This record gives sequence, structure tokens and C-alpha cells, in this order.
Amino acid sequence: MSDIKRSISLYSYQDEYYAGVLDLEGCLRETAKTGATGVELLAEQMIRNFPNPIEDEAFRENWFSMLKKYGLTPSCYDAFLENRLFANRTLSLTEQVNMMKRDLHCAKLLGFPVIRTLVSTPMDVIEGSLEYAEKVGVKIGIEVHAPFSLNSGWADGYMEMINRTGTKYFGFIPDMGIFCRNIPDVVADKARRMGASEECIKIVNDAYAKRVSNGFVKIKYDLDLGKANMEYRMSNGMGEMMDAVKAAGGNEGDLWYAGTSFTYSWSEPQDLIDNIDYIFHTHAKFYNVHEDYKETAVAIPEVVEAYKKAGYNGFLSSEYEGGEHLRDVGVDSIEQCRRHQEALRRAIEG
Amino acid sequence: MVQRVIYDPNGFRNVEKDGKVIGYCFGYKAQYYRGFSPSIVRGVKICVDGEEAPQDAILFTNKGETFTLNELTTVVDADMRWEYGEYACFTVLKEGGLAAGKHHIDTEITICPSYMPFPNVAVTGTDFEI
Repeated sequence: MSDIKRSISLYSYQDEYYAGVLDLEGCLRETAKTGATGVELLAEQMIRNFPNPIEDEAFRENWFSMLKKYGLTPSCYDAFLENRLFANRTLSLTEQVNMMKRDLHCAKLLGFPVIRTLVSTPMDVIEGSLEYAEKVGVKIGIEVHAPFSLNSGWADGYMEMINRTGTKYFGFIPDMGIFCRNIPDVVADKARRMGASEECIKIVNDAYAKRVSNGFVKIKYDLDLGKANMEYRMSNGMGEMMDAVKAAGGNEGDLWYAGTSFTYSWSEPQDLIDNIDYIFHTHAKFYNVHEDYKETAVAIPEVVEAYKKAGYNGFLSSEYEGGEHLRDVGVDSIEQCRRHQEALRRAIEG
Repeated sequence: MVQRVIYDPNGFRNVEKDGKVIGYCFGYKAQYYRGFSPSIVRGVKICVDGEEAPQDAILFTNKGETFTLNELTTVVDADMRWEYGEYACFTVLKEGGLAAGKHHIDTEITICPSYMPFPNVAVTGTDFEI
């Protein structure tokens, strides 16, 4: 029996929250209904006047009583490090470290053992926060989200820091969007509604299949993310794919589909096994789970198998991201999360 | 199943001051997935019936307080955050406001959240009636 636990990131319910259909408690209630035992929170999404209420004891009492009521355990707190708060400068190192400490402190107060930091977090900000992370007992995980990947020049930059400092308070949070065998069907369907042609969709799908079979050229470590991303795209054949789409008379929908195809990537699940000592949380990203509990892009069975083989005992936290492609026709995150949790349960227990 | 509503369907109206119509306003939800400090708003373009509002004629009201676009760049207090899923109100100062009847609005709202290599630009529009 595997010790892998299931969680839901409340990011998943963003469309229902936006519409006022679910509030924070409603999201917790829906999470519990799926059978998940963990909850991941974006405090900046669902706590008004962030971070002030977190300092308030009555607010926290209510938070913990809701967790108890729904039988949920805090799994991960998603931090954002808003370092471009002002138009004329990026926050200084000290300001950014203090912001990171604030998030570690908030996570601690709300019972989260881990915070998720984003790929844009400078290395010296992470290093500057490690002592405080250890003091409050909250780990910092950097999200490994497409176009980034494990076992890459980018990840090596962080491994060097882990080895040099010997820290146990920093590691990776893989996003399962890096295990997409193909582009999600909801994305192609949206492109079709935008007027994309079957010919161009096939060009893009074939180019994606080629990247998967050849292996993606990995992204380099560079604080200039825009530059690193463009190099990554070009070395993965973006230029020739765009030329082919344009030659086929690509319209707005075709070009959107071609461009957005680089939002997805494929890594070998073996990468998880190789790095398991540094993985303490996982974003189980998904885009569309059909009624038969099959995810249309993410290789759930293979990825969960790798986690099992590695002896992972952390959370797989559902993160639904298909909704943004359905806003013109309607979104049902509640049903999608239910299906995804069932898909995860089958893979974990199977 | 939920649909995405961006503009407050009940929010389009003319604004009166001292018995005179001084402009029009509308409610708008930020097209991002979390709340944020208004200081990261880096561009507001409002165009009604093809007429673009001058930058200095635009006011932003959130949680009962009003700022010019220039002032907005320094609004960072936690209590002033533009909350996820909540309408903020944009006012455009325009003598006489908008004529009664049907209109069309197009907006381009740019924000600079951390980590995105490029600004987040929301280009949206809707028909409405005064």
C-alpha cells in the first residue's frame, strides 16, 4: 500500500470563487467531498486584505475549525513574492527576503508545512530565507513548471545551492504539467472555436509529438526568464513549426494554438525517482478528465507509478487548469476535481 | 457550470456631482487568478464607442477609496488590495457623461504580477446600456 496522499489546491476552484458560487469554506467543503485529505491554499486568492487577517487569532480559529469540520490537513501554501510591486524598480534583496519570511510566517500560522515559491524567485532570496524557514519549520519548494524541468541546467543551479548549504529546507515541487504526452484536448477545442483549421492543429500536434519522441531540449538557468524561455522555444523547433503554420495560412486561432503549445512539456517520469530526496510536495496539474477518469494529456498512471517506485509519501495536490480554456462555454471545476481525485485514487491504490 | 462575467451588469451608469453629470463609471473584475496590490496595475485603456478616455480622466475606486491612475502606482496597503473576484469601479470624467441608450466598451488592463516574464494584458469588451 502506497503512502501517497491526495490534496486539492484551491486554485482549482478559481472560476467558481470568481463567480461567487464558492467561498473559502465552500472550496474546503468541495475538497472534502472528493475524498482528498489535504488542502493547498493561495492565501492571496482567497483571504481578503492579505496578509492582515492571518495575524488575527479569531480568523485562525475559524480556519482550523473549518479544517477540522471537513477533515482536511494543510498541505502547501502558495507564495507569490510580488517583487515588482513598484513600476520603477524590483524590490531589493532585503525587501524580497522579508516578503519570503512573511509568507513562511503566514504558512506556519495556518499550519502549512511547505510553501511553494515560483521559478522567478532569485537564488539569493531563497538562500537568505533558509535560516528563517528552519526556525519556523516550514520548507520552501520551488515549482518545477513547464518550460522548466528536473535533471536540467536550470535544476542544477538549485542542486548546487542545496549541496553547498546542506539545507533540508529547500527542494522541488514538480508540476505534473511537465508530463504531458500531448496537448490537452480542451486547448485544441478552444483553438477550433477561435477558428483554427484542422490542418494547422495537426502541424502543431505533430510538432509536439516530435518534441516528445526526440526529448525536449531543456531550459537553462537564467534569471532573465523571458530570454531563457525564448531560447528554449527556439531550440525546441518553434521557428520551423511557426513557419509551417504560417505557410498553411495560419489564422489567429492557429497561431494561438501554436504559441500555447509551448505551455506543455514532457519529461521522463524517471526524473522524479532521480530527485525524490528533494521532492516534498507535488502539483497534480490537470486539464480535462473525461467521464471514464482518463486525463487527456497528463500521464497520470506513469507518473504515479514513478512516485510509488520512489517511495514518495507526500501529497499529490490536484491543480485544475482546464477552466481557462472553457470560459467562453462554461466551467465546472467541481466535477473536474471529483474526477481527477478518482483518477489519482485509482492510480495510487491500483 | 459557471460563466465568466467581467463587467458588472448593473454597474454602467452616469456619475452626478452637484446636480451635474460629470462622467460615467462601470464595475470590472481583474482578469487574474488572485488578488493584488493596485500598484501593479501598469496600464488602463478605456474606449467607449470608439472614443478613448484621456488617462487623466480615469479614476479607480476600490473598497470605498478613489485614486487617479498616477496615484494607483503607489497603493500597496493590504486593506487596499484589489480582491480576486471583486469588482473595482472605473470612473471616466466626461462632461455630460454618456447618452441614454446602447453603447460598446473596450478596455485593455495591464498588470505586472511577479514571475510572469511578460505583463498580463486583458483585452475585453462588452455592449451595455445607460
